[in-house]
Amino acid sequence: MRHLFALLLALLSLPAHAGLRVVATVPDLAAITREVLRDRGTVTALSLPTQDPHFVDARPNLALELARADALVLVGLDLEIGWLPNLLTGARNPRIQVGGGGHVDCSTFVHLKDVPLGKVDRSMGDVHPGGNPHYLYDPRAADAVAFGIAARLAALDPAGAQAYTSNAADFVKRLDTARVSWEALLAPLRGKPVVTYHASWSYFTDWVGLETVAHVEPKPGIPPSPAHVAHVLASMQEHQVGLILQEVYYPETTPSLLRDRTGGRLLRVAGGADFAAGQTYIERMDQVVHQLAELGGHP
Amino acid sequence: MYALLPLIGATAAWAEDPPAAPAAPESAPAPTPAPAPPPTAPSAEDLAAIEAALAADSAPAPAPARGAGGTQSMNPDISFIADVAFAWFSAEEPLMVGGHDPTANGFTLQQLEMAIAAPVDPYFSFHSNLVFSLFGVEIEEVYGTTSALPGRFQVRAGQFLTRYGRINPTHPHSWDFVDQAVPIGRLFGGEGNRGLGLEATWLAPTPWYVELVASETYAGGESTARSFWGAQDPGFASPLDLQTTLALKQFFPLGSDLSLAWGLSGALGPNPTGLGNRTEIYGTDVYLKYRPVSRGGESVVSFQGELMHRRRQVPEDVLADWNGYGQVFWRFARRWGAAARYEFGTAATGLDGTVADDPLDPEWTALRQRISANTTFWPTEFSRLRLQAHTDLAGWREEPDYAALLAVEFNVGAHGAHAF
Repeated sequence: MRHLFALLLALLSLPAHAGLRVVATVPDLAAITREVLRDRGTVTALSLPTQDPHFVDARPNLALELARADALVLVGLDLEIGWLPNLLTGARNPRIQVGGGGHVDCSTFVHLKDVPLGKVDRSMGDVHPGGNPHYLYDPRAADAVAFGIAARLAALDPAGAQAYTSNAADFVKRLDTARVSWEALLAPLRGKPVVTYHASWSYFTDWVGLETVAHVEPKPGIPPSPAHVAHVLASMQEHQVGLILQEVYYPETTPSLLRDRTGGRLLRVAGGADFAAGQTYIERMDQVVHQLAELGGHP
Repeated sequence: MYALLPLIGATAAWAEDPPAAPAAPESAPAPTPAPAPPPTAPSAEDLAAIEAALAADSAPAPAPARGAGGTQSMNPDISFIADVAFAWFSAEEPLMVGGHDPTANGFTLQQLEMAIAAPVDPYFSFHSNLVFSLFGVEIEEVYGTTSALPGRFQVRAGQFLTRYGRINPTHPHSWDFVDQAVPIGRLFGGEGNRGLGLEATWLAPTPWYVELVASETYAGGESTARSFWGAQDPGFASPLDLQTTLALKQFFPLGSDLSLAWGLSGALGPNPTGLGNRTEIYGTDVYLKYRPVSRGGESVVSFQGELMHRRRQVPEDVLADWNGYGQVFWRFARRWGAAARYEFGTAATGLDGTVADDPLDPEWTALRQRISANTTFWPTEFSRLRLQAHTDLAGWREEPDYAALLAVEFNVGAHGAHAF
């Protein structure tokens, strides 16, 4: 009888142990949230690292994830504008709506780049009026994001406040240690010119000290025209660019052509950690850095 | 309506399963900066009191202001969508069914749509679609949606497109084809099924996506509810004078690359052919989409189809007909897509199984089929060019009709995302 009672008690207390349900829009944020949350809850990513975060399908099962969520961790700066608002409406969950305690916009934690100073409109392509949203490519921004998420989760779950803070501090310590080694590894590349497909590498090139000469896209989100590709090719030859950086969800043909014509190297990487397969943010950055060091080391 | 108020008030207490979460303020109150010493310095006591008062006033500090450049605005999201077409028809009177379809040779301003959306307050969001044509303005939709009801309920009130089936709740700018699907135009009218009313939806706590929809709307309107009251307006005497729409929407994510949505719908309401006569429209819709996001692919292949069965009580008979469409869409490059569509509608038959006199479409005495194909070019997601052709095989016409449509669409402003 006593065992039965204990079992019942255990069953009843299960939901409390399930902890916070956190949903992150992109896998890098899911990976960082995982570091902060650890065993105090579950983390789900709404998109894949092989998927362009600007164009995620608003599949109804994602609304279901949001309906159950205690917190939504997002990149912000309109990166998810094409799909997240619709899911938020469908989720019927006031906790994570804009203004809700569980709505965690990580762009508020970091120093932003490429914030337009003058008037912007869509003739300039897919510009983000609030600034460049690809800050997760810079591990220094990830520090701020981890602490920011910890503070917000602590507000949602005060009992775990200490755990979140120390988890974030531990993550940042490991990340900073790794970052120092990455910086040493990439030091020879400092000042080298690169071409990137989309303007998604601003934070990364700033961190590593690479000089961006041109983007394969003539304007953010606009596919290249032949004239623009010719212009990029000329710039690459003029500045002796040996590296092209792009995400796997952008077309490969044009960057490959540029690589072949200039004798350079092309680095194609996923847009974030392979969260579903258990890859951490540090492992993901480590992978990118080593691939870059290997390619960039060649003449 | 007053019954809703306690519900809304109770929302905070209803929060489903927050692990001991008192609604904490988003951030600590901003520290009050030390004021510059004024000409006649107040006493330290006064200063302390002022600081305490200011600190108390600013206690529920708003979210921290963004570092730089954040676009802050209290204006609603406003967007305009223009659809212009150039058309050629082989028939003198083409059988186009949509209120915004091109219907004559030459240029047509299909519509200038203005979409307005914004949160009203923490409890409601507002949405409206106004359509401007060359000769007037039409309020297609204007409704408020609850955003904080407990128990996964959501209520819409106002004028809205009913959520019957898959294509009916959507606007032309999200269609794969330039023109309206024949079943929608035939059963509901050129504007699609909409009305003034109230809708409640519920997201079931099932492991997969299950949404239940129920709405009551005004059953009149020649181009919005033609199988119901249609052009007649006998007034409102009982709830049976309204159109009831019921729908079940389910979604199955078959891995990360394949999606399946399946719906069942019913629209029930009065028709004006006799006292107490009713119309029932039952349907099912399916949408299967393949998009290889797990491999970084850009292509999309989708199939969408709907089948609708209508039954109408008329004096001394019950008319029945079947309608449907199926369409395949293939986005084969980042900027290019192609689509093909088949639509059909049978003649209305009576209880004896023979073709009966249809009071709505007297000429519709045989099977009508239409086959369309188009290709789309998207310069960006904010503009598209489409070339479409169709052949319309109306059984009651001596020869098929042919048509070619060239359409361009522009979308400016802030426009909300579309449903999957």
